[in-house]
Amino acid sequence: MVVNCSKIGRVGVVQVSKSLTAATVDSFREQLSSWQDAERDVKNYVIDLAQVDFMDSAGLGTLIAVLKRVSERGGDMKIANLRKKPRMVFEITRAYKVFEIYDTVEDALRGFD
Amino acid sequence: MIAVLNTSMTREWATRMSDAPWPLLPVVNRPLLDYWMETCADAGADRVYLILGEGAKAVEDFIGSGDRWRVRVEFTFAREGENPLDYLKSISAQWRDGLIYFGGPFFPRRRQAFRPEDFSRLKACRHDHAGEALFLFGRDDAEVAPLLNGAAPAGRGLERIHVHPYAIADTNAYYELNMKMVMAEFSRYVTAGFSGADGSSVGYNTRTPPSSHLAAPLIIGDDCRFGAMTTVGPNAVVGNHVIVDAYTELTDCLILDDTYVGRNLEIRDKIVAGNRVIDPKDGTVIEIDDSWLVARNRPEMKTEDVVRYVVLWCVALGLAAVQLVPFLILMPIILLTRIAAFERRQFHDPTQGYVALPTFTKRVNRKSVAYRLFRGLSLDRFPWLLRVLSGGMFLCGQPPMRHPEDDEIIKELPRYYPGVFCYQDYNRDSDRLTDSLWYAHIRSMYEDVKILIKALITRFVTAGRQ
Repeated sequence: MVVNCSKIGRVGVVQVSKSLTAATVDSFREQLSSWQDAERDVKNYVIDLAQVDFMDSAGLGTLIAVLKRVSERGGDMKIANLRKKPRMVFEITRAYKVFEIYDTVEDALRGFD
Repeated sequence: MIAVLNTSMTREWATRMSDAPWPLLPVVNRPLLDYWMETCADAGADRVYLILGEGAKAVEDFIGSGDRWRVRVEFTFAREGENPLDYLKSISAQWRDGLIYFGGPFFPRRRQAFRPEDFSRLKACRHDHAGEALFLFGRDDAEVAPLLNGAAPAGRGLERIHVHPYAIADTNAYYELNMKMVMAEFSRYVTAGFSGADGSSVGYNTRTPPSSHLAAPLIIGDDCRFGAMTTVGPNAVVGNHVIVDAYTELTDCLILDDTYVGRNLEIRDKIVAGNRVIDPKDGTVIEIDDSWLVARNRPEMKTEDVVRYVVLWCVALGLAAVQLVPFLILMPIILLTRIAAFERRQFHDPTQGYVALPTFTKRVNRKSVAYRLFRGLSLDRFPWLLRVLSGGMFLCGQPPMRHPEDDEIIKELPRYYPGVFCYQDYNRDSDRLTDSLWYAHIRSMYEDVKILIKALITRFVTAGRQ
């Protein structure tokens, strides 16, 4: 699991590679936390899931935990580039009602304006 | 007239969706093959040649002898690389009196005006999809031979008798077919006993709590359980033995047999088959390993069956060993006094069609200690126990169905498990059909042990009164 974090304006863009499952969520959480600790001024996030081809309930739970933590700090989190299979998991678990989902990172960034 | 049903070719969309072979995929809770057999019977076919491929065992188990449709079935395997039409040409002697052929996932969709007797005026026809013959019909060799050579007959074929030839080409076509059925058409296929007044059907032994909301039209199979605050429908097809947990919503969806759908989910525009969720529009399949989301709710039947078979075979062996000496002592006495004897009678058999079983019958109406002891120790079932040991019967199950007395009952049974002991052994007033259907629904090791203990005790206590 490789997590690439970058800053566009005042928004953190988090690119996640491969599957977000029980086997990879710990690594995702650790890498994201360490970046958040380093970039304390970033409150809003876009999670780019363009390379995530599958997600299970552990992955979904982790995203919800991240959203909760970001919200507690007064920020917001949006999802971009959700592929077909993770989208189906979002649909059946009603997670699409929890997250704001955009087709592209640019659309998501515009969502913060 | 003969029918040839070709189930030999694989369909990638079906393989990805379910472990069941495509001929057994349900169309509103009845396997596609069931509709084919019904159509063959309606069209006047008396013999069916079933070409098997992958999933042959499951297909063969489902069809059995063909008695349910009043046809004789013969099974054959497809030869590697052989064109199905070449196979048909090779058996030309068989279809001199007509042929009906199903060549792939094809559904004869009945329009409102259709009547089964309309088949009598069906003219020779051929329906192809993507260059493959899916349906052929001809009344004699003069009509069939040109069809096999590719000649397209004039006319509208099945459409003429109000049947729409529907090719199930992919997951979406399969899903759409089920949705069309639940929305309006399924009442054209059900037999007496079903009610479709509001477009709904709920199977046997299905329980819904008062807080469940069922919105018509919907079809729910047998043995289903729904949690609190669930919403089912409109346009939901739920298969047999499905469990839906609390707060979950099923709308415009198809849930196949033996599926668990977890708590607080929303299944909309999807097919769920065990732990697979399928988007019918593009055939995308995801396999979910979180058993609390969606899962297959029944352990692999193979394991369960093997365990049951081994345990009950050992019990049968023990019982036969205990009975052997009393049988050898009492049987000569019974024969000498001529009070009773074993007579061979015809019974239905799930594998061979019919089988002659020795049945203990009283000949003289007088009291006899030997007779009472013989019955009380269930020695009259000793020959059947030996049949259990050879794999021909089950230790506990449904009552063996007599031929021809029980021919109507056997047609109603989706599964036939003839057992040495059954409910009737401890409840003489039980209804053979109802009990057999019930047993098929709840068949388990616990149920078998319960039947065995109750039957042995009851037969011992009431011996001589029968």
